[in-house]
Amino acid sequence: MVRWISDEAGEEAALLQALGLPSTEELFRDVPKKARLGRLGVGAAREEEEVVAEVDRLLERNRPLGRFANFLGGRIASRYLPAAVDAIVARSEFYTSYTPYQAEASQGMLRALFEFQSLWVELSGVDVANASLYDGASAAGEALLFCRRLHEGRRFLVPASLPWEEKSVLANYASGPGLVVEEVPYDDRTGLLDLGFVRNAVGKGDVFGLLADVPNGFGILDEQLFELKATLGEVPYVVAADPLALSVLEPPGAYGADVVVGEGQGFGIPPSFGGPLLGLFACRREHLRQLPGRVVGATVDAYGRPAYTLTLQTREQHIRRSRATSNICTNESLMALAFVVYASVVGPKGLASLETSLAEKARTLASALGSISGLRAPRFDAPYLGEFTLELGRGTTAAFVDRLRRRRILAGTPLGDPRPGSPKGPERLLVAPSPSVGEKEIARYATAAKAWSASSGGS
Amino acid sequence: MSYRQARWEEPALWDLAHAHAPEAAPAIPGVPDRFRRRQALRWPELSEPTVVRHYTRLSQMNFGIDSGVYPLGSCTMKYNPKVSELLARRPGAAQLHPYQPEATVQGSLEISWRLERLLAKITGFHEVSLQPAAGAHGEYTALLMVKAHFRELGEPERRTEVLLPDTAHGTNPASASMAGFVTREIPSKDGCVDLGALKAALSERTACFMLTNPNTAGLFESEILEIAEAVHGAGAMLYYDGANLNAILGVTNPGRMGFDIAHLNLHKTFATPHGGGGPGAGVIGAGETLAPYLPVPRVAKAGRRFRLDYDRPRSIGKVKLAYGNFGLDLRAYAFILAHGEEGLKHIARRAVLNSNYLGARLGRRLPRPFRTLVKHEFVLSGAPLREKGVRTLDLAKRLLDEGVHAPTVYFPTLVEEALMIELPETESKRELDEFAAAVERALDDSPEHLRAAPTSCSVARIDEVRAAREPVLSWKDVRAAGSAKVETP
Repeated sequence: MVRWISDEAGEEAALLQALGLPSTEELFRDVPKKARLGRLGVGAAREEEEVVAEVDRLLERNRPLGRFANFLGGRIASRYLPAAVDAIVARSEFYTSYTPYQAEASQGMLRALFEFQSLWVELSGVDVANASLYDGASAAGEALLFCRRLHEGRRFLVPASLPWEEKSVLANYASGPGLVVEEVPYDDRTGLLDLGFVRNAVGKGDVFGLLADVPNGFGILDEQLFELKATLGEVPYVVAADPLALSVLEPPGAYGADVVVGEGQGFGIPPSFGGPLLGLFACRREHLRQLPGRVVGATVDAYGRPAYTLTLQTREQHIRRSRATSNICTNESLMALAFVVYASVVGPKGLASLETSLAEKARTLASALGSISGLRAPRFDAPYLGEFTLELGRGTTAAFVDRLRRRRILAGTPLGDPRPGSPKGPERLLVAPSPSVGEKEIARYATAAKAWSASSGGS
Repeated sequence: MSYRQARWEEPALWDLAHAHAPEAAPAIPGVPDRFRRRQALRWPELSEPTVVRHYTRLSQMNFGIDSGVYPLGSCTMKYNPKVSELLARRPGAAQLHPYQPEATVQGSLEISWRLERLLAKITGFHEVSLQPAAGAHGEYTALLMVKAHFRELGEPERRTEVLLPDTAHGTNPASASMAGFVTREIPSKDGCVDLGALKAALSERTACFMLTNPNTAGLFESEILEIAEAVHGAGAMLYYDGANLNAILGVTNPGRMGFDIAHLNLHKTFATPHGGGGPGAGVIGAGETLAPYLPVPRVAKAGRRFRLDYDRPRSIGKVKLAYGNFGLDLRAYAFILAHGEEGLKHIARRAVLNSNYLGARLGRRLPRPFRTLVKHEFVLSGAPLREKGVRTLDLAKRLLDEGVHAPTVYFPTLVEEALMIELPETESKRELDEFAAAVERALDDSPEHLRAAPTSCSVARIDEVRAAREPVLSWKDVRAAGSAKVETP
């Protein structure tokens, strides 16, 4: 039996004796008999080494990323994590602490979060960042609600190319107050937003915000992002941006974004089958009082020394209750710590050179795949960075992915909504060479894709 | 009072090195010049030892459970088993991408499937989803499911209200508002739901009643079966806020008490580390009526294979990328395996024993507003401190000087100058006694010392008013204020 529950020297007897009780059963006499349970049926207790053996036995059925050449695109990345990052994140003073309600005892985490906020402000180019949200998709959902607090209307515009998961999350965040998420179509050749559609929609009124992403759901850099603010006028403008891309791209604040959100997992956080992730959120200073979630501010202590604390809490659920800007209580503080430690260990030049090398790899692979009959890569005639869309002229992405998996290649992330009954789009994959992929793996991918194509689309 | 937290005069990260010169980011072939960052990212270039030393020093100015007891009421700050940290870092767990083909992630799918079933047994629910990222996220997801249910019944226009007791966690009303409901608070009687007031408030407009049991006053709502009957009688749903589940593990559960849906905080009851504010995991369980609305995907088992099932036509869709915070799910799974049936039941017995023992001792010094048989936590009123010209806040700060964390303060709001205290099952009698002695010493201390506290932390009492009045929220603000010695390029 593990010894996590304290029972040093039969102390429970002493505790009961102090209370004058014969047994702990007495402490539950206010639980009605009809609500009492018999057995839970969860099995017997195990020793720690048995737990390790059991979990390891199950984990052996996984085939982790190290066994594959990884080309999975999308918001969740797999990059080498410098050992120093986990050395900090694994410090128990950080990971076993709670939300820093007592600031004087929690300066370490508060300062780390202040540094994290500072970093997202620098990357995003807008004025104020919060101390994190759950993930990129829920951060976009919070941005939708944020826009509605700034502007009247019922419709929120998003690119039709946005990944289906994010559309679904946004639809849920919109559904509470009875709002609608509307898709802006894209040009079939270039994948770029239909700016005319945006202009018309805004002209008709009733639009309270728009979200555009960079790179977008097809991996594209859409230069029209620079024109959107002029088109939107007073309507709030949200940009969902990849932090690594922002190490080389113009920050969205520079082209008029009112809110910049993002998924921060790629900075120092292992993919862990999808979580924990890290939601990034920053906005303009004039909208500070509408910011969702926790925020850390710098101030001084009684001796005038620099100090940090959670601040502007009158926006929050524990004070404002039903009129709070958000229900956020727990966020992703430890992941925010990983984010800022990663960026600091790698450094701005290291980040830019990582993104540059990923972009080169993507270009090499896209041109190799583009020359194969039956494949279109990159699918869209538009600039891209480290990921691009591959479209299959025949066969299915499922068959393609399966074939390449057998050759130890993770070919890419299928696009499109997997729910039965959702519109069936073209067979497309978002392909992103991971940093561990070299020329050899790119060549292997091309060879495997050629073989698939030769066998008439694996059908 | 021998406690001293580290006090480093650690410069800000950006004061440790010159930030970047204002050069443009490198040009990348194929990327339009307009997109190229005109001024490279302004962040310092530092050596690894510099970064590691900086954050190590910061960590030494941070208090965690491994540093000492953490009596935050409703937060269930228990020891985080080290073995869970070990397991979550296995490459088979950490280096797994959610978009890998299902054939390559069978182990994680099976762990998720098993954990769901264990949690279903523990909560008495039909189905469990691991998707929401935190407790409040679980609340919100559950309320969207309630909404979807009434929409399907054709009464979304009518069922617009969510009722909750005045002791509810702040996240409850906030989540209800986000989900588009109007909230109404039901006043408590002696710290528990006033059944008469609840019955009077229930109507055909009620979508849901949200309840924590035991509640935030630490009291078990003994009329829970009558409450459930009244809520269901009005055609509404009963929601269980699982923040306080620790106290009733194996004794009762939300399903048995008549709840329709619940969220659990894995970082409370199941000891996943809270990480200084997160990550959490806000698992939701649902009875048969609401289970069809759970978010997709669901983990399904077909023969010996596991897969992600998207064929749930009544599902609300997604609330988060991928499928839940697996890193935390795995830790909670290990925690449940280790405890087993007897261990889980022991958790509740010991947590409640600790709370009653400590409540009895401290109740001799400060008023306890409600009945004294409590569950996982108890509430004291710091109102008598006013006689010596101090407040609960001063007492909380003074406790930091004792090498312990402070309790939750000023909540629940129906208790004047409230202190809410919870020391769960992992705390020994020695720790309880030492904590009680620390509170007693603090109560006996002079008003001057109380107001001057803390003196043993890395900083003295913080000026919170200034932080809110003149918000300085980033390095950029520091630069703008010109109040720091920053090398501006």
